[in-house]
Amino acid sequence: MTRQPACVAFLFVASLATPLAGQDSIAVRLAGRVPPEVVRVVKELAASSARDVPVEPLVQKAIEGGAKGVPAERVVTALRELAGQLGIAAAALHEAGIERPSADVVEGGAYSLGAGLSARDVRDVARASQPPYDPAMTLRVAATLAALGVPPKATVRLVRDMISAGRAPSDLAALPGEVQADMARGATPAQAAEGLARGAGAGHAPPGRQPGWVPPGQAKPPNPHKP
Amino acid sequence: MSEAFHPLVKQLLDGEITLAELPPELRTEGAAALRLLAAVDRTPVSLPTTLDRRVMAEVRRRGAAPLLRRAWRRLVEPREIEVRLRIRPWVAWAGALAAAAVVALLVTRLPTLQRDGRSVHVATRDSVYVRFVLYAPGAQRVAVAGTFNQWDRDAAPLMPAGTSGVWTTTLALPIGQHQYAFVVDGERWVADPAAPGVSDGFGRRNSLVAVMAQGAHTL
Repeated sequence: MTRQPACVAFLFVASLATPLAGQDSIAVRLAGRVPPEVVRVVKELAASSARDVPVEPLVQKAIEGGAKGVPAERVVTALRELAGQLGIAAAALHEAGIERPSADVVEGGAYSLGAGLSARDVRDVARASQPPYDPAMTLRVAATLAALGVPPKATVRLVRDMISAGRAPSDLAALPGEVQADMARGATPAQAAEGLARGAGAGHAPPGRQPGWVPPGQAKPPNPHKP
Repeated sequence: MSEAFHPLVKQLLDGEITLAELPPELRTEGAAALRLLAAVDRTPVSLPTTLDRRVMAEVRRRGAAPLLRRAWRRLVEPREIEVRLRIRPWVAWAGALAAAAVVALLVTRLPTLQRDGRSVHVATRDSVYVRFVLYAPGAQRVAVAGTFNQWDRDAAPLMPAGTSGVWTTTLALPIGQHQYAFVVDGERWVADPAAPGVSDGFGRRNSLVAVMAQGAHTL
């Protein structure tokens, strides 16, 4: 019974010490790489960000700005923009039903936003990414397709079609390469995505189903006029 | 020298046989060996009477060595010690399992090398070799920097492939998505023309590469 106050005090100190330790590690990692005002902003953003928003992308962005010799005020602007994207991505993932998204998934969502997808697109891609599809991977694929110039709607449709057709995750990961290959043959990004979306379902069935499987109630009756 | 003597001559030297008992052809050798033996100085060695005193004085001097020196000797001189442990068998098994778990963790964990306070991942089953190629004729130096090496412009230089202007390097990258750019002549940041790019937020473009267990993709 007498130990209870001591335990409570210990937990209180520990709860204060953990974020402080994180702040110290940010300062140590950024020391000498970026101006002090950038360090201060990263620490501020880290302290104010929601629980599911990862800090590592902010640290990386600050380091990148320092390495590229970008003026401090421009780095700060980019950091605030990235922090905003991470927050929006985390919220979109919550909407998609992912209660506690990992840092990888949030980062994938932020990349997608940075590449031109909307929060709704991120939500739709994440919602479609049921096991065995890793939402972090599908979001990265979507981000890369968008970065290649595939329009956002076509990007989301292609990813969803691949998933609903039961294509292997490795096929999904190979999509940007295939789009690039089609572009090298002269197709526009939209045309390449369209062609891949058409072929996504052809000859493939969802996991555990035979090729030619049709969802219940969707089988077409035979056409008596067709030879 | 003894190996040069005939075995019978050795017996002669040992006093087992006499010179007359040697075969005639060995007698000359036997006589020479006996002369050699006779030349050896057999004068008794007498030790100086002060030796005992000197040895004992040295023993006492070492015994009275300063405290520090004695302590140092106690630390470094080998000695036999006996350790007795009394443990229950399950404790021993638990210890062995814990040690095995630590070893397994160390073996399977992605090893990193610390260099200038930065982590550089080395190739393991959690990383994949990725080849970077840039055509940059006329460049003096080309490097690749990105999220995988803390954007260090000196960490990953590319090598020129002959005089064709093509620069290449192969790096072991950890699984995940990475942004990168080439650094030409130490100051010009260039996106990879063969990879998709995204805005870096600073007005330039970064290239994307995704490393998966199956290999690298231009994600």
